[in-house]
Amino acid sequence: MSKFKVCMLGAFAVGKTSLVQRYVHSIFSERYQTTLGVKIDKKNLQLDGRSIEFILWDLAGEDDFINVRSSYLRGSAGGVLVADGTRAETLDIVFELRDKLYHEVGEVPVILIVNKSDLSDNWTIDSQRLQALRDAGWQVIETSARDSSNVDQAFETLAGQLLQPVS
Amino acid sequence: MSAYPETVVDKILQVTLQSNKFAYLAIDEKGRLVSQGGEIAATGLPQWEPGQSILDEALFLSGYVPMSRDYEFIAAFQAGNGPIVDIHLFRDQEQIWIILVDKTSDMEWESAARQNANELRLLQQQTQRQPVASDQDTDPHTQFDFFESLNMMALRANDDGSFERLEPVSDRFKRLYPESAESARALYPQQKFPFVENFLVDATEVWEAGDSERRIRSGPWVETDGGCEVALEAIALYWKGNRLLFLEVLDESYRLNQSFLQMGREGVLLNRVLEDEVRKQTREIRAREEEIALRLVCAADSRDDGETGSHIRRLGLYSELIAQHLGWNDADAEEIRIAAPMHDIGKIGIPDHILKKPGQLTESEFEIMKLHPEIGGRILSNSKTPLVQMARDICLGHHEKWDGSGYPHALAGEKIPISARIVAIVDVFDALIHKRVYKDEMPVDKAVALMLEGRGSHFDPDLLDLFIRLKEQMTEIAFDYSNPIGDDLSKAASIIDDIHLLRPGD
Ligand SMILES: Nc1nc2c(ncn2[C@@H]2O[C@H](COP(=O)(O)OP(=O)(O)OP(=O)(O)O)[C@@H](O)[C@H]2O)c(=O)[nH]1
Ligand SMILES: [Fe+2]
Ligand SMILES: [Fe+2]
Ligand SMILES: [Mg+2]
Repeated sequence: MSKFKVCMLGAFAVGKTSLVQRYVHSIFSERYQTTLGVKIDKKNLQLDGRSIEFILWDLAGEDDFINVRSSYLRGSAGGVLVADGTRAETLDIVFELRDKLYHEVGEVPVILIVNKSDLSDNWTIDSQRLQALRDAGWQVIETSARDSSNVDQAFETLAGQLLQPVS
Repeated sequence: MSAYPETVVDKILQVTLQSNKFAYLAIDEKGRLVSQGGEIAATGLPQWEPGQSILDEALFLSGYVPMSRDYEFIAAFQAGNGPIVDIHLFRDQEQIWIILVDKTSDMEWESAARQNANELRLLQQQTQRQPVASDQDTDPHTQFDFFESLNMMALRANDDGSFERLEPVSDRFKRLYPESAESARALYPQQKFPFVENFLVDATEVWEAGDSERRIRSGPWVETDGGCEVALEAIALYWKGNRLLFLEVLDESYRLNQSFLQMGREGVLLNRVLEDEVRKQTREIRAREEEIALRLVCAADSRDDGETGSHIRRLGLYSELIAQHLGWNDADAEEIRIAAPMHDIGKIGIPDHILKKPGQLTESEFEIMKLHPEIGGRILSNSKTPLVQMARDICLGHHEKWDGSGYPHALAGEKIPISARIVAIVDVFDALIHKRVYKDEMPVDKAVALMLEGRGSHFDPDLLDLFIRLKEQMTEIAFDYSNPIGDDLSKAASIIDDIHLLRPGD
C-alpha cells in the first residue's frame, strides 16, 4: 500500500475541514468551527487496482493572525489547495501557500479546489479566471462539500497524479 | 541563585504562605528528594522519604520548571478535580524547589459553583427519589493524586527510537493512548500519532543541541477521543542528559484561543457580507440614477435631430473608457459615464426654429445656439452632489477649446475642467463617424486624422493622444455597442416628438 501525506491548504473558512469530513466521514455541518492547529485524518482508497492511504493534514486557515508553519508541510507528497468561490480573494492566498509548499518539499502534485459550488450564484471567481488557470496547467476542480459534488473526484484526481511515475 | 532578587521571591512566598495551606519539596541534581514539608495531603502530592529517588516525578515537574528564567509561577493550576494550587518553581545551583500553595478556599466562585452543584443534586434526589453520588461523601483532598490527574504525559527518548514512559501516567492518557498504560512497555508515540512523527524532527534538533535552555512546543493538534475532539501539544526538552518529550492535553486554553480566533474570523466574514450588500445596493441606486438621467436627457434632447439616445449613451461609455485609462477610480469613472450624456441639456432653452433649422444658422441665430452651455450650467448649478457638479462642468466646458478660442468663457488649457476636455473629444468623434440627417458618416481613420489637426488648438493634446491609443476600443463602442436603453430612449424620443407635433401652437 502506498501512503501519501497530503496537506489541505487555503484561507480560513474556505471549507478545508468540511471537504475532509465529507470525503472521509460522509458528513457535513453548516456550523463553522475554525481549526486551530492541525487535524489529521486517514482515508483508504483503491485506484486502478492499487491501494492508497491518504494521510490528510487539515491545517488551520491562513490569515493575518495565523500562518501555516512550514514544518507542518514537511514530507508532503501532494497538496490540496482550496479557495472559496464566493470570496475571490481566497484565490490569491492559494498561490502564496502553493509557493510555501513547493519551498518546503519541492514541486509535488497539487490540485486546486474551488469550493462551495452550491452557491454558484454568489461566486465572485468567474469562469474565465478559472479557464485561464486551467490553460496555465492547473488542475482546477469545482466542488461542494455541502452537496458532495466532485469531492471524491477531486481527491481521486490527486491520487492519480501521485501514482504517476515521476518523469 | 534566583534571577529575581531573592527578596522579591521571599516576599511573594511569605505573603502567600502565611495565609494558605502549602506544601514544598526540593529535589537535587540526581532527582533525589532533599526535603519535603508543609501540608502535603492538602495539595495532593504524594509523601516521599528523604533521599528517595523521585527522578521520574522530578522530570515530570521539570516540564514546568523555568528554563531560561530561574523562577516561574503558575497561577490557579488545577489537575483534574483536585485542589486549585498556585505553583512556584525556582532553582538554585543544587536543587529545584517546588512550592504548591492551596488556593481552593480563595476561589469564591469555585465554592459557589460547588454549592450550586450540591443544590442541584439535592433537587434531583427529591424529584427522582434516588440517591446520587455526592462530592460531599469524599474529601477531594485525600482522594486526589497529583500526578495521575495531570493533563500531561512525560516520555524519555531511548537511543533506538523508542520511548520510555515516566511514572505515573495520567488518566487522560490511559484513554487517549492505551498502550501507555503498561509501564514496562517501549512506546512509539510517533507511530500512534503522525503529528508526533513530524514533530520529532524538530525535537531531535533540540536534543542533539544538548542545550538545557531550550524547550520547543509543537503547536496544537487535535485527536478524537471517543467522538470528542481533544487538543494536544507536544513539548521537547533536554534536561540533565534526558531527552524528554511531553504530551499535554490543552483543554481550556485551547478552547479559549479557538473561540477568540473564531470570533475574529466570523467578524471578518460578517463585514464582508455587509460590504457586499452595501456595494450591491449602491450599484442598484447608481443604475437607477443612470436610467433616470438618460431618459430625462433624452427627452430634453429629443427636439435636436443630432442627438439620439444611442449618441448620448455612447458618449458616456467613451468618456468612462478614457477616465479608466487615466487611472480614475471606479466610482469617478462611473460618474463621468452618467454625467457626459448631459452635455447638451441646455438645448432645452433654444427655440425650435433655431434648433431644428434645416440649413446653415445665421450669425445671430448661432449666437443664440451658443447659449446652450450656459443654460445647461444654470440648470445644474448649486448642487452639492459631485455627479451633478461634474455634469455642470461638462455642460459649461464642452465647447471650450484648448487654445482659448472656444465658448462661452474662452477658457484655455487646464482651466477647462478635465471632464469637459474629455467630452469635447468624444462628442466630436461620435458626431463625425455617424450619419446625421444633414451629413454622411466619415470613416474612423479619416475622422481621427481630421481631429489630429485640432491637436493642441481645439483638443487637449495629451488627452487626444490617449484617445487615439484607445481608437480600437472606441470604434468597438461606436459600432458594436448594442444598447437596449439607447433603443428604448430613441423610442422615448420619438414619442416626445409626437407629443410636440400634437401640441398646437408649439
Ligand atoms: N454552502 C457551502 N458551505 C460550505 C461548503 N463547505 C464548507 N462550507 C461552510 O463554510 C464554513 C467553513 O467551513 P470549514 O470547513 O470549517 O472551513 P475551513 O477552511 O476548515 O476553515 P478554517 O479551519 O477556519 O481554516 C462552514 O460554515 C461550512 O459549513 C460548501 O461546499 N458549500
Ligand atoms: Fe453642445
Ligand atoms: Fe453631443
Ligand atoms: Mg478547518
